[in-house]
Amino acid sequence: MGLLTREFETAPCEVEVSHCFDSLHAHVKFLNGATINPGDEVQVQGPPVMAPYGEVVREQRTARITRASKLEQLWTRMTGDFEFMELCEFSFSDEVEITEETALGAVA
Amino acid sequence: MKDTAYTHSADASTVEEALAADNHQGIVDSEGATALAMQNTLLTPRFYTTDFDEMDSLDVSSVREDWDKLIAQMKSDPNKGHFKKNEDWDHVDWDGMEPKLKAEFIDFLVSSCTAEFSGCVLYKEMKRRGNNDDIVTLFQLMARDEARHAGFINDALREAGIAVNLGFLTQKKKYTYFRPKFIYYATYLSEKIGYARYITIYRHLEANPEHRFHPIFKWFREWCNDEFSHGEAFALLMKSDPKFTETWVNKLWIKFFLTAVYSTMYVRDHQRPVFHAALGVDPDWYAHEVFTKTSEITKQIFPITLDIENPRWQRGLEAMQRANVDLADAKANGKFFKRIGASIRAGAAFIGLFTTPANKHTAPASVRLEPAY
Repeated sequence: MGLLTREFETAPCEVEVSHCFDSLHAHVKFLNGATINPGDEVQVQGPPVMAPYGEVVREQRTARITRASKLEQLWTRMTGDFEFMELCEFSFSDEVEITEETALGAVA
Repeated sequence: MKDTAYTHSADASTVEEALAADNHQGIVDSEGATALAMQNTLLTPRFYTTDFDEMDSLDVSSVREDWDKLIAQMKSDPNKGHFKKNEDWDHVDWDGMEPKLKAEFIDFLVSSCTAEFSGCVLYKEMKRRGNNDDIVTLFQLMARDEARHAGFINDALREAGIAVNLGFLTQKKKYTYFRPKFIYYATYLSEKIGYARYITIYRHLEANPEHRFHPIFKWFREWCNDEFSHGEAFALLMKSDPKFTETWVNKLWIKFFLTAVYSTMYVRDHQRPVFHAALGVDPDWYAHEVFTKTSEITKQIFPITLDIENPRWQRGLEAMQRANVDLADAKANGKFFKRIGASIRAGAAFIGLFTTPANKHTAPASVRLEPAY
């Protein structure tokens, strides 16, 4: 890992998206034992994994991991703690911006 | 959930199914379909890492008896089956709801869903990367509860025509970092204040049922009992090692977390005036009630509580609230200097709150509490 340079790698992963009444969740599990460190970025490749209501979708995909530079990792370690408010139900979040979409768009 | 008697476009997997759904009955042209638009909100939780070795080194043997009892209770899953709609789930007239109330209520539901969902993501990650059986079991059980709560809220949102989009995994997401002890402080506090918030609304509506404008509030009691037991587990974790609550530096961190959580709640709740008016709740009264309950509960483990009766406290909250209103206005209208000014005022108000002398306590020898409000 460089002080300022980022590195990339790919990892096979299993994505599980549950859109059920009993459980609303979405998780990624790396199948090659890759671990994520502070500041790293992960993007699952391919189209969005969408589960229709009432279903659990499990898919094997590839994830692209962008490894943070040493400096970025340090910075994330120092500042990440202050994002804890998100765990509170009354937190400020940008997600409450609800976008209008037609019925056609919403089921995509 | 519901059987197939009623279909909703949010369930559909094809365009044809969506247009054939009951909530779209009678719409034959695209104009009509647009008018009855399904709204879509993308959940974007944060992703966390922590020092997993440090977390694995936790040792709950000093509180083993209480710990095993609590985990056994969580495993028995007393609330399984509670989060189902039954005959108590009255019909909700979303179309007849006053638009401002509808907007604020949906904002409330989406924030709640995001928080439950983020908790679930965090706990699952801890579960997956930890090696300490006690800790892994706890996080697994908590992830289960949070996902269940999120599912329940999601269902209420769907009735309102809001589809939650879980497609965020294919977007680039950065992993942020939480020190283990901050996870304990923040999670403990968010679970306990969550309990106090839900139970205060539940008891208020029990006494004033005419203000219960949505059936979801009837489920708040069992819901918040889950929050309560999650908080209990973190209280035991912190009790397992005195350094979490007894060192000078950590006491300051506890005060910081208390101040940040309380003041954020105050400011945020004041952004939903119509929602609170519909519930018949004065946000200032509500904040004071919730802070009082939370402080009473947190005495189980924290050596300090904030002095919410000190006049400085309320003054500080109000100053922070005003600064926040100005900040939002400056952001929305691109007023650079107003934005700087409001940020400085908000920061100053926070420092004023943080430096208000706290009440000190001696934590009891035994930590465990049962929900009592």
